[in-house]
Amino acid sequence: MKKKVVSVILATCMLGTVLAGCGKSSGGDSTGSTDSAASGSEESGSSDGSVKEFTAFFAVPGSEINDDNEIQQILAEKTGVKVKETWLTGQTAEEAIGTLIAGGEYPDFVDAGDGSVQMYEAGALVALDDYLDKYPNIKEFFTDQEWDSLRQSDGKIYWIPQFSNIYGEERECTHNDEAFWIQARVLEWAGYPEVKTMDQYFDLIESYYAANPTMEDGTAIIPYTILCDDWRYFCLENAPQFLDGYPNDGSVIVDPNTKKIIDYNTTDTAVKYFKKLNEEYKKGIVDPESFTQTYDEYIAKLSTGRVLGMIDQWWDFSNQTEDAIKSAGLDAQGCQYIPLPITIDESVKNQWHNSGGIVHVSSGLAITTSCKDVEGALQFVNDLLDQENHNLRFWGVEGTDYNVGDDGMFGRTPEMRKIVADTAYKASHLCTYSYFPQWTGTSRDGKNAMKPEGQEAEFYDGLSDSVRKCFEAYGAKTYVEMLGTSPAPGAWYPMYTFSQTMTTSTPGGTAWNLMGECKHQYLPKVVMAEDFDAGWAEYMEAYNACKPEDFLSEMQTELDRRIAEAAKYSN
Amino acid sequence: MEQKKRLFKNISLVEFKRQRVLIIWSVFFVAYGLVFCYAPLVGWLMAFQNYKPKDGILHSAFIGMTKFKMLFSDATFIRVIRNTLAMGVINLVATFVMAILFAILLNEIRLKGSKKVIQTISYLPHFLSWIIVTGILHDALSGSGIVNELLTKFHLVSQPINFFAHEEYFWPIVAFANVWKETGWNAIIYLAAITAIDPSLYEAAAIDGAGRWNKIKYVTLPGIKPTIIILLIMNIGNVLNAGFEIQYLLGNGLVQQVSQTIDIYVLKWGISQMDYSLGTAAGIFKSAVSIVLILICNTIAKRHGEERLF
Repeated sequence: MKKKVVSVILATCMLGTVLAGCGKSSGGDSTGSTDSAASGSEESGSSDGSVKEFTAFFAVPGSEINDDNEIQQILAEKTGVKVKETWLTGQTAEEAIGTLIAGGEYPDFVDAGDGSVQMYEAGALVALDDYLDKYPNIKEFFTDQEWDSLRQSDGKIYWIPQFSNIYGEERECTHNDEAFWIQARVLEWAGYPEVKTMDQYFDLIESYYAANPTMEDGTAIIPYTILCDDWRYFCLENAPQFLDGYPNDGSVIVDPNTKKIIDYNTTDTAVKYFKKLNEEYKKGIVDPESFTQTYDEYIAKLSTGRVLGMIDQWWDFSNQTEDAIKSAGLDAQGCQYIPLPITIDESVKNQWHNSGGIVHVSSGLAITTSCKDVEGALQFVNDLLDQENHNLRFWGVEGTDYNVGDDGMFGRTPEMRKIVADTAYKASHLCTYSYFPQWTGTSRDGKNAMKPEGQEAEFYDGLSDSVRKCFEAYGAKTYVEMLGTSPAPGAWYPMYTFSQTMTTSTPGGTAWNLMGECKHQYLPKVVMAEDFDAGWAEYMEAYNACKPEDFLSEMQTELDRRIAEAAKYSN
Repeated sequence: MEQKKRLFKNISLVEFKRQRVLIIWSVFFVAYGLVFCYAPLVGWLMAFQNYKPKDGILHSAFIGMTKFKMLFSDATFIRVIRNTLAMGVINLVATFVMAILFAILLNEIRLKGSKKVIQTISYLPHFLSWIIVTGILHDALSGSGIVNELLTKFHLVSQPINFFAHEEYFWPIVAFANVWKETGWNAIIYLAAITAIDPSLYEAAAIDGAGRWNKIKYVTLPGIKPTIIILLIMNIGNVLNAGFEIQYLLGNGLVQQVSQTIDIYVLKWGISQMDYSLGTAAGIFKSAVSIVLILICNTIAKRHGEERLF
């Protein structure tokens, strides 16, 4: 009896471990199936009037739209193509792309983000050079110099960066990038003072918090929080470059005069910035959960209007929080965020905002070797850039989503504005194909903006009262005017498009990786340290052990290469 | 040799025919094992190559043990081995002891109804995925979570403790989560083993004057000893599978020194940095250690004349 039970248990467990064993080992070894890789596309191939289906994967988080989405349907009727888009969920971009390559099956379209070079090296992408001339809208998308900057080591072009490409005159109202943000109500409470330095910023937050420790409904206010979740820790680490008045090169500072790379992690400004954060942490101004909160928890905090200020990129928080704040009626209390032109010293001019388009050479929309109909796919990209289709993507359906005034200007009624912000409506009606190439700037009609957010009158009418009042007090009409703008500093800008592509196959890439890990661990410790100086010394020791000089010298080489490359075109 | 001959003689054609159903059935399982467990092992070749996806296994250059050397000269890898072993052992001991204790306690409940209810409730967490469990943990242990609320209410601490910001709390949190999630489920096997104990033994013990405690000590525990040993051997082979999800989901920059396990290392270097060779090498190392651990335990069990795997 006893034997029997034990053996039954044994058999069950054996089966269990066998199954588990298989599950575990297949993770690293699944490349065995590479050779038999069938195409991942669902395209039917029938060209007789029926709609062709393509698949696309974008290595960024995004929301899927409904299968019966209305504008997608209209676009499918006009172009004969429909693309099923999928997005990153619960992984990092590198993990997702690493898994794709290991599996050897790809969707038709892909934006591999930081993994783009790896996709190219794995031979997963189709070279676009032979096709480009056949598609005028795609060809027109970049100048020859810009196309050349996209060439990989074999001299061919594999991807099309989708964003920041300006048609005609630039039209920008939103500061889509990084800044010190502060709630409109804090500025209003203080009588709209000039806030230009980090000290002034934290003084303002401190005095507001002392006077108003809770929200109207009694929930405690969080004066300042720092998002530190995984790759989003730029909210903590890269402010020193801006504070010194440099633009967002992302991973280093470039001195525009000497053309030399400077490491912003070790500057005096960096020490001052982290020391300030350390002081504010001890005063209880910095949210004690800063370094352990997840991105979702952070967004939830911001959405309740409890957080007075933070550093972040507009694109990183605004999509979710702006709508949540509005629908909770918190915009009337002034809980929306305003960017401030903050530097380390009043004499330093800020460059939080840069004008002009940036070609993000490190990634873009690519077509994979699994795609059976490359020409059809490119034709679709070309069609999407037609003005009429472009309007459909970003403005919506005329009469439903926007009206055309007698002067030909597009505009929305308050009801339209409300409904286009609704998540359910976005999924059922709007289809921007947001990771396909798109224009900003002025429409081909010469009047309207390519996208609603660039339409000045529409933007201004759509602002909530508290934000508009704040803008008026500072003599600004847009977020951009709050900060002022500067042109891009030089042809090398921005350097982060290079550091993003680094891998551990070079010493510099290895150093870059180790530096990231070291900063992830020590920067929170430095901010929370009892004794800042000792904490900083410990951090510097660990930091220098990562050999940052390897990284910096590779960045310098790339900087020199970019400057030399640009010089070819100016002659 | 002698033995082999006899083995073949024993399987006569008649016997083969008689057992054909069984043989046909076993073919499926052998095929399953070959396809899903042994065929993927070809991928282990990657660990000895400078593997490039473009060239595939067939054309990548062989580099011998270079990747293994890289692995063991990497301080991070040594650290993740330490973390994995530490968390694995803590989890093993905690969940193992708790499951046996729980099963014995549950067995002592005389009311059938409440026994069933307790058993059902206690094994339900097993069916939650780690993402949900970590979500609950994150909420419960946050600054405004229930744990901190209770601690401050009873004046045990003056300031809420930020549990996830301290390295020393990380392993206990992981162990606690494992115990909470798996105790009820693991206890089922022991409960089954206890039911299989001959009731006459308990009666005999009662006649000899044994109370509850002595019955547990002299009847129940010896009765489930073979089960305990078998499960111990199998679980020791799993020590290096200390987990991936929970550490991955609960970890952050502040605790990364103690939170990263071998699995996370493989993901980070093998998949994210696309050094598939290094990832495979780390995976092979893990499998090899697991096999060695099982062999050692099995030998010890054999020597002591206990139940064993093989």
